[in-house]
Amino acid sequence: MITRVTSTTMMNSASRNMQSAAAELSRLQEKASTQKNISRPSDDPAGTAAALQVRADQKLNAQYTKNVADGNEWLTTVDSTLSSVTALLQRANVLTVQGANDGALTLAAKETIAMELESIRDSLLAASNTQYAGRSVFAGTSDAGHAFTAADGNYTYAGVAGSSVERRIGEGQTIRVDGDGAAIFGEGTDSVFAALDAIAADLRAGVNIGPRITSVATHLTTVSSQQAVIGSRQATVLSAGETLLDAKVSLESRRVSIEDVDLAEIILDLKMQETAYQASLAVTARALQPTLMDFLS
Amino acid sequence: MSTFSGINAAQSALQAARAGIDVAGQNMNNLTTEGYTRQRVTLASVAPTGRIGMLASPTFSAGQGVAVTGIARLANEMLDQKVRSTAASAGFSYVRASALSGLEKSLNEPSTTGISAQLTDFWSSWQTLSNSPNSDAAAAVVIEEGTALAAQIKQGYTAVSSQWDSLRGNASLQVNELNAAAAQVAELNGMIRSALASGTPTNAMLDQRSMLTSSIATFAGGTVTQNTDGTVDVLLGGNMLVSGTTANAVTLAGPRSIDGSGAGTNPDGTAGATAVQLEWVSRPGAAIALDGGELGGAVSMLAPGGALALAADSYNAMATALTKKVNEGLAKGQTASGATDFFKLPTSGAAALGLTIIPTKASEIASRAIGGGALDGSIADKISLIGKQADSPDALWSATVTSIGATTKTELKLSVLADLAATSASTNQLANSSVDLDEENVNLLMSQQAYNAAARVLTTMDEMLDTLINRTGLVGR
Repeated sequence: MITRVTSTTMMNSASRNMQSAAAELSRLQEKASTQKNISRPSDDPAGTAAALQVRADQKLNAQYTKNVADGNEWLTTVDSTLSSVTALLQRANVLTVQGANDGALTLAAKETIAMELESIRDSLLAASNTQYAGRSVFAGTSDAGHAFTAADGNYTYAGVAGSSVERRIGEGQTIRVDGDGAAIFGEGTDSVFAALDAIAADLRAGVNIGPRITSVATHLTTVSSQQAVIGSRQATVLSAGETLLDAKVSLESRRVSIEDVDLAEIILDLKMQETAYQASLAVTARALQPTLMDFLS
Repeated sequence: MSTFSGINAAQSALQAARAGIDVAGQNMNNLTTEGYTRQRVTLASVAPTGRIGMLASPTFSAGQGVAVTGIARLANEMLDQKVRSTAASAGFSYVRASALSGLEKSLNEPSTTGISAQLTDFWSSWQTLSNSPNSDAAAAVVIEEGTALAAQIKQGYTAVSSQWDSLRGNASLQVNELNAAAAQVAELNGMIRSALASGTPTNAMLDQRSMLTSSIATFAGGTVTQNTDGTVDVLLGGNMLVSGTTANAVTLAGPRSIDGSGAGTNPDGTAGATAVQLEWVSRPGAAIALDGGELGGAVSMLAPGGALALAADSYNAMATALTKKVNEGLAKGQTASGATDFFKLPTSGAAALGLTIIPTKASEIASRAIGGGALDGSIADKISLIGKQADSPDALWSATVTSIGATTKTELKLSVLADLAATSASTNQLANSSVDLDEENVNLLMSQQAYNAAARVLTTMDEMLDTLINRTGLVGR
C-alpha cells in the first residue's frame, strides 16, 4: 500500500523527527557536560563492572600507600635505634677489652669502667624501649609501653613470643615492621643488659673479664645482622611504595579509559548533532507551510 | 419523460453538491480532532424509471439525477487492529523500561558515593584499625563507615520498595481507567446498535469507540471482535471485558508491599494472591493472563521474581553476606567481654532495613587474634581482605549492578523497537484516516463546481421552459 501523506501525518513525522534529534542532542550534551561515558549502568553494563573494580582497586592502592608510609616510619625508627645500639655496644666492647687488661688498671680505674658499662646498659635499656607513635617498636604486639623492664638484675621481655607487627603493602603481601626485641637484645640472663651487668660485677670483684669479651662481641654481631634484616625490609617497603605509585597512575588511566569521554570526539559529535537539529527545524518550518489554501484565490 | 424531471434531477445534484461541501467542511473542521476519521459522501446515480404501459415512449432517458446514499467513514479495521496490538506491546515495554531506568538510577553507580565506593572505604578503614588496633579514632572510623554502609543499603532497599509502591499505585489507577473505558465501550455499543437500527449517523460514536478500544489495548492488551449488530466485544485473557452492552469490572489484587504483605483475603475467605495480579471482580483469586499493555508490564515488574523484587533481594543478600563475612572473621578474634559480632541483623523483616552496628569503641572490636598480643591487629587485617574474596558483598553488588544494567539496556532497546512498531502502525492508520487539507480543498472545489454546473443545468431548463411557454406559437404575430 502506498502511504497516503496528509497534513496530520506530515506534522506527526516532523515533530517525531525533531523530538528524536532533540533527544540525541540532549544525550550528547549530558555526556559532554558530565564528561562521563558511563553515567548509568545500562550505558555499558560490562564497563560498569570494570569501573567498579578499578575504583575499588584505586581505594585499596591509596590504603596500601598509607600502610607503606606508616611501615617505613616504623622501620626508620628501628633502624636508627639499632645504629645507636651498635655504637653503644662498640664502646662497651672497647671498655671490656680495656678492662680485661688486668695488671695495668687500678681499682679506681676498674670502677670507672664498670660505671661506664652500667651507664651503657641504661642507655641500651632506654634504646630498647624506643617508641613510635606511642608504641614500643621492640615490644611486638604488647601494649605494655616498653620492651624490657629491669628489676633486681632481671630483664623481662614484655613482647608476646612469636608475634610481630605487620603492615599490609599489597593484596597478598605483608611486611614485618617492628624489631624483634628478644632476638636483638636477648632475654633474661642471656640478654645484653645482663651481660654488661656481669662484666661490671666481675670488674668490681677483681675477676679477669677476658673470657667475657666474646659475649659482648656476639651481641654486637647479633645487632648488626638484625639491622641488616631491618634494612632489607625497608628496601622492600620502599620498592612496594614505588610499585604502588606506578599502579596508581595506570589505574587512573584505566579508569579514565573506561569511564570518561574522549573530549574531541564528543565535541565533534555534539556539533554535528546541533547542526542536524537546526537543519531539521529549518526543514520542518519549510515543509509545514504550504497547502493548496495558499494558492487558491 | 416528464418535462419537469430534468429540474428534479438538477435539484438532486444541487443537494449532492451541498452534501459534498458539508462533508468537506466537516473534515476540515476536524483537521486536528484526535481520533477523527475522515468521511466521504457516497453518491449514486439514479436510474431512469421504467417505461411501461400506453404512455411509454420509445425515447431514451438519461436517468433521474444523483442520490446521496450515505456518508462513509474511511476507517480500516485491519489498520486499527494493528494499532491496538502494537500499542499493547509498546505499553508493556514502556512501563518495564521506565521502571528499570528508575531502578538503575537508584543504584547510584558508578559513582564516588555509591555502595561500591562505601564498601571499599569500609574495608580500608579495617586496614587503618589493623595498623593501630587500640586507637579509638581508628575504631570510630570503622564504626562510622559501617554505619554509613548500613544506611546506604537501607536507603537502596527503601528506594526500590517505594518504587514498587508507586508502580502498584499507578497500576491501581490504570485499572480504574480500564474499567471506565470498558463501561464507555459498552454504553457506546448500545448507542451504536440503536442508532444503526433507526438509521441515524454513527460515525462520531464509532470514532469514540475506536479510541477507547485503543486505550484499552494500551492498558491491558486484549483483542477486539466485531459483531454483526455493530457492537464490539473486548476480550482480556480470553474472557469478556466488554460483551455487547455489558462491561465486566476487573481489579488489581495481591500484596500491597514489596515484602509480600497486605494481600488480604478474598470474599470467600481464601487467602489473597501471593503475587500482584489482575482479577475479575466476579471471580476473585483467578489471575487474568495479560498479553501486553501497561498493566501487563506493571504486573510483570511487581511479580515476586520481577526486577524490583530481585533488586530488593540483592540488598537483603548484601546485608546478610556482610554480616556473615565480618562476624565470622571476627569470631577468630577476641575482646575483653568475649562478644565479637560487628553487624547485627534484625530478628524480623527485611535484613537490609534493620542492619545495625554493635561495637561503640576500639576495645569492643575483636581485631586481635586469640593468643596474639594486646596490640595485635591481624584479625582486622583479615577483615579488610574480605572485599577481594570471590563471594564478597562487593562481588555480589557488582553482579547486581551489572545484571540490572544489562536488563535495563535490553528493555530500553525493546521499548524503542516496540515504540517504532507502534509509531509505524499509527502512521499507517493516520495515513488512511486523517484529513488532508489539499484533498479536502480539491473536494470542496469539485463540489462547488458541481453545484455551479447543476445550477447551470437548472438555468438551461428554465430557459427551455421559457421558450416553450412564452415564445411558442407567437410566430408571425
